[in-house]
Amino acid sequence: MRTKTLISCIGLILALSGGLFAIQPACAAPSLVVAVESAPKSMNPHSENGDATLGPMTNIFDGLMQRQKTDGKIVPALAEKYEHPDPLTWKFYLRKGVKFHNGNPFTAADVKYTFERLTNPEVSQFVNDGKAIASIETPDDHTVIVKTKDPIPWFIDNMHQVFIMDKESSESRSEGEIGVAPIGTGAYKLTEYVKGSHMKLEANPNYWEGAPSIKNVEMKFIIEPSTRFAALASGQTELINGVPVEMIDKVKENKNLDVMRRPARRAIFLVVTNRPGTPTADPRVRKAMYMAINEDEIIQKLMRGQATAASQMVDPATVGYNPDIKRLAYNLQEAKKLLKEAGLEKGFEITLAGPNDRYVMDKQICEAVAKYLAKVGIKVNLDVKPKSIYFTEVMENKHDFYMMGWFDGTYSGARTFFRHLHTIDKNAGYGDWNGSRSSDKDIDQVLEKTSQIVDKTQYVKTLQEANKMAMERVRVIPLHYQMDLYAVAKKNGLQFTPRPDQWFVFKDMSKK
Amino acid sequence: MFTYLTRRLIQGVIVLLAVSFVCFIIFRYMGDPVISMAGQYATAAERDEIRKIFGLDQPPYVQYWRFLTNALHGNFGISYETRLPALGLILERIPASAELAVSAMVFAFTVGVGLGVLVSVNPQAWLSRAIMAGSLGGISIPTFLIGILLIMVFAVQLGILPPFGRGETVKLGDWWSTNFLSLDGLEHLVLPAFTLGMYQLAVLLRLTRSGMREVLTTEYIKTAWAKGLSPARVVFKHALRNVMIPVITVAGLQFGDLIAFSLVTETIFQWPGLGNLLLTSLYESDQPVIVTYISLVAVFILTINIVVDSLYALLNPKIRYG
Repeated sequence: MRTKTLISCIGLILALSGGLFAIQPACAAPSLVVAVESAPKSMNPHSENGDATLGPMTNIFDGLMQRQKTDGKIVPALAEKYEHPDPLTWKFYLRKGVKFHNGNPFTAADVKYTFERLTNPEVSQFVNDGKAIASIETPDDHTVIVKTKDPIPWFIDNMHQVFIMDKESSESRSEGEIGVAPIGTGAYKLTEYVKGSHMKLEANPNYWEGAPSIKNVEMKFIIEPSTRFAALASGQTELINGVPVEMIDKVKENKNLDVMRRPARRAIFLVVTNRPGTPTADPRVRKAMYMAINEDEIIQKLMRGQATAASQMVDPATVGYNPDIKRLAYNLQEAKKLLKEAGLEKGFEITLAGPNDRYVMDKQICEAVAKYLAKVGIKVNLDVKPKSIYFTEVMENKHDFYMMGWFDGTYSGARTFFRHLHTIDKNAGYGDWNGSRSSDKDIDQVLEKTSQIVDKTQYVKTLQEANKMAMERVRVIPLHYQMDLYAVAKKNGLQFTPRPDQWFVFKDMSKK
Repeated sequence: MFTYLTRRLIQGVIVLLAVSFVCFIIFRYMGDPVISMAGQYATAAERDEIRKIFGLDQPPYVQYWRFLTNALHGNFGISYETRLPALGLILERIPASAELAVSAMVFAFTVGVGLGVLVSVNPQAWLSRAIMAGSLGGISIPTFLIGILLIMVFAVQLGILPPFGRGETVKLGDWWSTNFLSLDGLEHLVLPAFTLGMYQLAVLLRLTRSGMREVLTTEYIKTAWAKGLSPARVVFKHALRNVMIPVITVAGLQFGDLIAFSLVTETIFQWPGLGNLLLTSLYESDQPVIVTYISLVAVFILTINIVVDSLYALLNPKIRYG
């Protein structure tokens, strides 16, 4: 669809209309209607390892751990505490007296069942996490001991999004039923679900943290941005996410609405190969390319200020983020000098690949990069295409210079680094997203070292070291973090704080 | 007649095979579905495993043959994205789309034909000229713009109609839910039905008008006027009836399109119908859903054509099919 055209049309129209407001029905019990930009794939909590599904599911299910709303710190949920005695072992002490929505008690057997279910690719996108487990022991009803095949330092960081299912009801029901009628331990029960349209939630009075204050929630899935905004402006919903940057000024002009922003976790960066034989094999060339890109201008002109400059490929909430890494300043003279040192003052030709329907302004950013690099004599051919084809090509190692956006749901930088920076090693499962077939043995070594470290401080330090090495050698050119943009209707006194993971967690919301 | 029908059926089967085959081949070039099925964290080995489970590791002709044999048993495969049967996903969307299409058609037909008659009776009136100019707009303004304008005026500014979704529906039996039986449901229908019907309305209006203009000048109408019949009788009984044949034919043809490809309208209004499903599936390269959908639409259109052709033969004995 010509979404862009659509957006600009509605933007224009709203500018003219000035956004009059509609009458809203008064409601007795605190209830909430929100509209979100993406629909969950299914009500099966493992069907998608992505926020479109995990976000809604977190209201119906609980993980062993959960994330605090403000900073994303991992804290206990269904497990009261855990121990990590050696690199392979994770011991969880489960909370007692928790019940599923159908009345079944929550026990260690449910945890074991859930972890085993993860390994089945037909029902789970957490196969990678499930298969990493070597054995699960349940010495009693409230203790679970998990041993992994290899050391996985980020195992615990995943536990907020591996939602625990009820063994008894899941085994007795078909997958078709599980996919539409979820049974969890969460703060809300599902009362109605119409695929691709909406879901209705009702507060769980027996929730182990106490019943949430907002009693009824309706989540509407409205993919078209202008319609989503119309739903808010007409008073049909009170909160929306995914406000397009093109519309942000118009939303701000509307006195009845508040805009809330939070730097998104996803970092946008350009991957550039260091494979011998390519012009970019020389780190000075990659550095020159980095310095020739005017990121401030990209943020101001293309992103309309709705982005923050990045200095690395992970965000501050991620384990392994290194605050010491600073962005290289935009400097054409220096860039030209570096190219000259590398013997490429005449420039060279390179192809920049990117998607045109994945990230905010993705195609426009690629075009801008091509223009910036032309200023230092690098001729950039653009190869921009739809994401379904583009990502397939990246996976098939077709591109040496390409755009990528990434964040890891586990908040673990390690997995990101192993996937993107480590030399491709199919057997070990390393370098799966290393589309440019780059390789750097020093970085590989430091990364591999992290897997053996149990001590958390030491572990984080080593990861930060790997991160720093990668950025000093300009393995990727960081651009920016996108901005998560929300709009809220002011009049109902909704208390809402945007979370780093973009989820709407209704138990954390309230009304004044 | 029998030989004719058999021949049409065989032709139909060949067309169906061709359609499904082309779909199948095209989606080989729409990106690898396994990447999104496995999720961004999967390793190469895990992706291979998924490829195997869903049979995507086999050569295209094997996959195609398997699709055909399964389809003959009524099994159209499992959606890659939702992991639910593709046929079920499509069937459950039919009520929403069908009701939207029926409402749009009823609206377009009554208003279009009504205005067409009005315009043809008083062609020089100021109002008629305005209507004709407006109908040009109906044909040329793209659907998405009409939809957004309607949302802007009626939902955002006036706040009298809801901008999206189906609203409250009433269940009829096991798998049909209807908008027609609740006030909220009817309110939700107004804007999308109007948007979807706008183009058809303009076409039917112009068709009715030109037909009427022609018929109204014929001898038998003059005779009717001369006989002193009431204007209503002349216009509706004698003239309109003769104009209706081509109008109904066109309306019938358009109806199939309305059900099958109301994609833009359903997207703008977030209407949970077939068009919406098709678009989402295209974005996600959800091949089983796309192929099943397109095959079903082909069956639907072929059936209509065969029925219409057979009806011609029954209704008009002069037509001979050898």
